Amino acid sequence: MKHRILVLLSLLVAVVLVLGACGPKATPTPVPAPTQPPTPAPAPTQPPTPVPAPTQAPTAPEKKPLGLPAPLDKMTWDDVVAAAKGQTVNWWMWGGSDVINAWVNGWLAEELKKRYDITMHQVPVAGPTEFINQVLGEKQAGVHSGGAVDIMWINGENFRTMKEAGLLYGPWAQLVPSGALYDWDDPAIAYDFGYPVEGYEIPWSGAQVVLEYDTAKVPDPPKDMAALIQWIKDHPGLFTYPAPPDFTGSVWVRMMCYYATGGYEQFLGDFNQELFDQKFPACWKLLNEIEPYLWRKGQTYPETQQAHIDLFANGEVYFRMTYGPGDAQTRIDKGQYPPTVRTYVLEDGTIANTNYIAIAYNAAHLPAALVTANFLASFDSQYNTIISLNRYSIMKESALTPEQRNLLASVKRGPAILPPEVLSAHKLPELQAKWLVAIEEGWRKNVLEK
Amino acid sequence: MSRLREHLNLFLMLAPALAVVLVLFMGGLVMGVAQSLGYMPMIGKTDVTLNAYVHILTDENFLRSLALTCWIGFTSSILSTILAIVAALVLRQNLLGTRLTTFIFQLNIPVPHIVGAIGVIFLFSQSGLISRVTHLLGWTQAPADFPVVVWDDWGIGIILEYLWKTTAFTGVILLAVLRSIGEDYEDVARTLGASAWQRLRHVIIPLIMPGILRSSILVFAFTFGSFEVPFLLGKRFPRALPVLSYEYYHDVDLGFRQEAMAISVIIAVLITAIVLVYMKLSETYVRSD
Repeated sequence: MKHRILVLLSLLVAVVLVLGACGPKATPTPVPAPTQPPTPAPAPTQPPTPVPAPTQAPTAPEKKPLGLPAPLDKMTWDDVVAAAKGQTVNWWMWGGSDVINAWVNGWLAEELKKRYDITMHQVPVAGPTEFINQVLGEKQAGVHSGGAVDIMWINGENFRTMKEAGLLYGPWAQLVPSGALYDWDDPAIAYDFGYPVEGYEIPWSGAQVVLEYDTAKVPDPPKDMAALIQWIKDHPGLFTYPAPPDFTGSVWVRMMCYYATGGYEQFLGDFNQELFDQKFPACWKLLNEIEPYLWRKGQTYPETQQAHIDLFANGEVYFRMTYGPGDAQTRIDKGQYPPTVRTYVLEDGTIANTNYIAIAYNAAHLPAALVTANFLASFDSQYNTIISLNRYSIMKESALTPEQRNLLASVKRGPAILPPEVLSAHKLPELQAKWLVAIEEGWRKNVLEK
Repeated sequence: MSRLREHLNLFLMLAPALAVVLVLFMGGLVMGVAQSLGYMPMIGKTDVTLNAYVHILTDENFLRSLALTCWIGFTSSILSTILAIVAALVLRQNLLGTRLTTFIFQLNIPVPHIVGAIGVIFLFSQSGLISRVTHLLGWTQAPADFPVVVWDDWGIGIILEYLWKTTAFTGVILLAVLRSIGEDYEDVARTLGASAWQRLRHVIIPLIMPGILRSSILVFAFTFGSFEVPFLLGKRFPRALPVLSYEYYHDVDLGFRQEAMAISVIIAVLITAIVLVYMKLSETYVRSD
């Protein structure tokens, strides 16, 4: 009797396994593309789209190989696209934003399927160390092809770490069609936190810190860092920042340190321990000085950005800093924030950077990785992030067609978004990676554990 | 002959489970110990040292984390055991509605801890549901007026989550033990004139003591080594040990892995030691019976 049950059970397991294995293979066969209505409706949520998004820029069928690194060295772009057909691309990316996750699994996944027959598989991670560890672990184990990571959302010290450890495929970013849309002579594109990109990653989005506040609660927000610090002291318990190494908390600490140490200009070069030891105690002093006036008297800090978003949305704190100038508008549109929320930049300026898409050196689906990265950087995808994620164009004006420029010019922005001129007039640079690590460590030792 | 076959059968049937335990668990443990000693050939470190342990054990932050973790482990296992005993005693009575109550009581057992932790945030944080109700009632004016229960100094949020989950777990075990014992012993005690308290203290508790000890060991070992609940509900500093280990493991500096592994090994050693003590205790209990 018992034996029979066992046999039955194992049969059941086997059936489930077989079904599971067949499932993904079986789905692409019905050819979903032709059944879909041909009318391109790229963003149904966005009614004011004046002209349907244009189709892929007319890339003349290249006959010459692109000169990509092995194993794709003989391939033209058309060959790469053909090889990518039917592949799944594993995108390891920070998964801390519900809004971005929805975009990746919604619009992006549909477009990739429709245009290239590529299946998007998002692997959401809490931080880049997860995919660095993954690729590093595979390299150590001798898994030089067929790795779990195809493409990554990356920048700064993580890009540097991976490039220096030989964990990235490249150079490719200037060879794919979308590479021509970016100004590789602009240091803001060609250097990632002061480290040369050299074609190992392609720009995906621009980021600049803005402060979110609710006009119903703070009608007249403090204009600059000095005034903000005074505001924090006058309103105990209503301000906080996510604990570094969360990247938003980390950038906020850098901004306060720029202020407390007399400006970022002195730190722009390579890391200098002596200078760090000499200048940064002033910053720890400032951060400890405001600590008793922070949320929960600074005895704890929000663990993640999402925790900070919840605190702000629930009215526990009155400000939130974010790398995404359009975040607030997106959340207002989704009803997560009250419509009275606005954003602004401090008169001292706020830190800005570019973030990128890179490919793992041992990516299992190299062609799909290239096609997806190229598509993410393409006009169509960039334009969609601008209208649906409230991003900004980081593409080179002169590389766009007149229609594309018109499309960008006609984008209507919600009231919670600052005009691009205001943002670019208040840009502060990032420091090189080693400074970042030292500042995060210094914050932990001198502020958190004090 | 058949004896041998029986043994062989037994071995074959146990082999898959043993393989999992030996390869995955022991393999992981061995690698963890090796890395905690600094043996990490993949980043070019092959010297075996006790540096990480010296560093960790002399670090005040580690000791604070250890104290916090012990506090959480002991408080939640003791409180949940007491609650579970009470609940089991109430639920074993075959009154009207106890079947439904028992069902509701067990309902949270399949719910993952991580869901419970999010639930605790939704309910008990300073802008959570309860805080909103007290605000509506006019008892609190602002979120900051609501008592600090989540991300607090004493790990109350963490302990609450563990109580919610483990009380049901222990309760179900004790309920089964109680039902298997039946009421004969108590009836005997009653006819001999024992009061309700005496029956509880001298009859029921000793009878279910092995069950209490075993389930509270499990609860303690779990709450001591669990990561997600203190990660979500704990203060940023000091951290519970598993969270501290995770943090070291994810440091940009790969050199900190040694510390991360050392902490994990210490967690494993402590849990093993405490389980051994418990087992000794329960053994003496059974023997004195």
